[in-house]
Amino acid sequence: MLKVTDLQVSVDEKPILKGLSLEVGRGEVHAVMGPNGSGKSSFAHVLAGREGYTVTGGEVLFDGENLLELDVETRARKGLFLALQYPVELPGVSNMVFLRESLNAIRAQRGEPALDAAAFIKLLRDRAKRVQLDPELLKRAVNTGFSGGEKKRSEILQMALLEPKLAILDETDSGLDIDALRTVADGVNALRSPDRAMVLVTHYQRLLDYIEPDYVHVLSGGRIVRTGDRTLALELERRGYGWITDGAAA
Amino acid sequence: MSAMHKQREHPAVDPVERYRELVDAAAPLLPGAHMDWLVAERSRAMDHFLRNGFPTRKDEAWRYTSLDRVLDQNWILQAEPVVKLGAADIAQFWTTEDAAARLVFINGRWLPGLSSPAGRVPAGVQLDGLRTALEETPDQLMPCLGNAAQSTVSCFAALNTALLDDGAWLQVSADTQFPGPIEILYLSVGRDSAVIHPRNLLVLEEGARATVIEHYASLDGTPCFTNSVTEVILGDGASLEHARLQDESASARHMGTVFLQQGEGSCYRGMSVNLGGLWSRCEYHNRLQHPHARCEIDGLYVAGDRRLTDVHLDIDHAVAACSSRQRFKGILQGRGRAVFDGLIRVQPDAQKTDAHLSNDNLMLSRDAEVDTKPQLEIYADDVKCSHGTTVGQLEPAQLFYLRSRGIDAGAARRMLCLGFAAEVLQDCSVEGFRERVETRLQQHIEAAAFGGNGGPGDV
Repeated sequence: MLKVTDLQVSVDEKPILKGLSLEVGRGEVHAVMGPNGSGKSSFAHVLAGREGYTVTGGEVLFDGENLLELDVETRARKGLFLALQYPVELPGVSNMVFLRESLNAIRAQRGEPALDAAAFIKLLRDRAKRVQLDPELLKRAVNTGFSGGEKKRSEILQMALLEPKLAILDETDSGLDIDALRTVADGVNALRSPDRAMVLVTHYQRLLDYIEPDYVHVLSGGRIVRTGDRTLALELERRGYGWITDGAAA
Repeated sequence: MSAMHKQREHPAVDPVERYRELVDAAAPLLPGAHMDWLVAERSRAMDHFLRNGFPTRKDEAWRYTSLDRVLDQNWILQAEPVVKLGAADIAQFWTTEDAAARLVFINGRWLPGLSSPAGRVPAGVQLDGLRTALEETPDQLMPCLGNAAQSTVSCFAALNTALLDDGAWLQVSADTQFPGPIEILYLSVGRDSAVIHPRNLLVLEEGARATVIEHYASLDGTPCFTNSVTEVILGDGASLEHARLQDESASARHMGTVFLQQGEGSCYRGMSVNLGGLWSRCEYHNRLQHPHARCEIDGLYVAGDRRLTDVHLDIDHAVAACSSRQRFKGILQGRGRAVFDGLIRVQPDAQKTDAHLSNDNLMLSRDAEVDTKPQLEIYADDVKCSHGTTVGQLEPAQLFYLRSRGIDAGAARRMLCLGFAAEVLQDCSVEGFRERVETRLQQHIEAAAFGGNGGPGDV
C-alpha cells in the first residue's frame, strides 16, 4: 500500500530525512519510534504533503501512485489520513460543516454520492459513539476550546468518519492522561481492519501497550536504523534509544 | 434637468457648485416645500454644506479616504418615473422569509405596490414611505425628523437633508412590540449616474421593540451613488435590532450614515455589513446622553480588489453608566483598501462607562491595505474600557489542516473567511440575515481571484 524508498527531505536546506525506506502493507500496523529530532514528525508531515519540506531524493508510492506529486487534498481524497500531534483550532468554523465538507469531498473521489444533511448527521452520531466523543462537541467550532484529550478524540472521530486506507497517527498519545489514552486507543483499535493500514509515530512505547503494532521501526538520524516486532519497543522502553542510535547517527 | 448633467468626463464645474445647481433644480420637486420647518431645515443644511464644501484628506475624519471616486461623476437626481419591476424581480433580495412587513424602494422611491400592505401593521405602529407621510401626516414627523441627524457632522448628512426626498418611516408607540422583522430594501436599477438620498426615520417610543433590516442592493452594475441617512430615536427602555446590509454592485458608491439617539435604559443592537460598492463608507454617530443605555454594533466589511470600504464610528459617552461595544471585522482581497476609524469618547461625567472597541482584519492578499485607528478618549476615572486591533492573514497551519481532510484550497479559504466573520455574525438574532450574509460573503470571496496574490504566506 505504501512504499517509501530512500526518501530524502530537507527543511531550509538542512537535511532531515536521509534515505528513509519503509514498506507498509494492507491491514498492517507499523510503529515508527525514535528520539526527539529524529525526523518522525517530519516523515508524517511529508507523507501528508505539508508545505515547507523539500524532497531531495527518493520515492513514495501509495497504491502504486507517486504520492509526492499529489497535492494535499488529493492525497486525503485518495485515502491518506494524518492525525495531528497538535490538532489545529479553527475558530468560527463549524465542526458539522467541516466534517460534512470533508466527507463529501472524499466520497466524491470514491465515486459515492454526497450525503444529505440527515444521512450525514446519522452517520456522524454513530461514529461519535464509536470513539466515545461527546456529541455536544460536534456543535462547536473545530477544536476550539477543546481539551487536549477532546482534540485527539476528535481526530480519531474524523478518521472513523473518513475511513482512510492509510492512517498516520503523529504522537497521538502525547498530552493524554491514562484514561484519555485508553479511550483514544480503543477508538483506533476499533478502526483496525484488513483493508486499513496504520502508521503510529510515537516517542514512547506507552501507546503500544494499547495499540499493538505488527512492526516497530526505529528512526534515527533521518533513516530507519532497526526494524523488529513489538518486543523491540519493550526493549527501547527498558534501554532507551542510545544503544541503537549511537552507531547510526554518526 | 437630467440630460444636461449627464457627463462621464471629469467635471469641469466645481462639485460644490454642481450640487448647488442640483439642489436648486430639485427644490420644487422635493416633498414638504410648503412646510416652513422642513424648508428651514433644508436651508440650514445647505448653508452648512455651501460654507464647508466637501472634505479633503486634510480633515482628520477623511484622512485615509479620498472622495475622488465620488466626485468624479456628474450625478443626476432621479426625476423620471421608476423602472417597472414585479415581485418576482425583487424576491431574490429578501434577507429573511419571516419579515412581518416590507418596504421596497426602487432608485430611492417607495413602491407601495411591492411593499407589504399597510393593513398588516399592528395598532400603535406607523410604517410608511417618508414622502407619503410628509404629504399626509406631516405633524407626526415634525417633532422627530432631523432630531437625531446632525447636518453639521458631515457634508453628506447635510446634502441628504437638503435633498431629502423619500425613505422609510417607522414609529412604534410606547410598550408596543412589532411582531417580526421589518425589511427595508433599496434597489438601484438601470439609471446611469443616479444619486439618491434616502432618509430613514426609526422612532421607538418608551419600552417599544422592533427589528429592522436595511438592505441596499443593485439589480445591475450601473454606477449609482447612494447617500443615505438613518435616524434612530429610542425612547426610555426601547429596544431596536438594526441590521444594515450594503450589498450594492461593484461600481456603486455608497455613503451611509446612522444617527442614534438613545433614551435611558434603551438598547440598540446594530449589525453593519458592507460587502459591495466601488467606494463605500459607513458612519455611526451616537451621543449617549441618558444613563444605562446600551449600544452594541457588530460589523463586517469586505474590500474587494481595487475597492474601498470605510467605517467611521463616533460614540460619545456624555453621561454615567452607559455601555457600548463595537466589534468590526474586515476581509481584504486583491488591491482592496479598508479604513476603520472608531472613536469612543468618555466625558468627565460618564463614570461607570463600559466601552469596548475592536477591529480585526484578515488580509487575503499582500497588495491589500488597511488603515485602522481605534481610539479611546477617556476623561473619567472610574470606567471599564478597552480597544484593540489586529491585522493578520490566513494561517498556513489552518489551511493545511482543512486540505489534509480532502477540502480543496479554495473551499478551505472560504471556510476560514466565514469562520473569521462568524464571531460578529453569530450574535445576530435576525432570522435568516446571517445565512444571507454568509452566502453573499462566500460569493464575494469566490469572485475574487485568489491566484498568486492570495497565498497563505503572503503579506
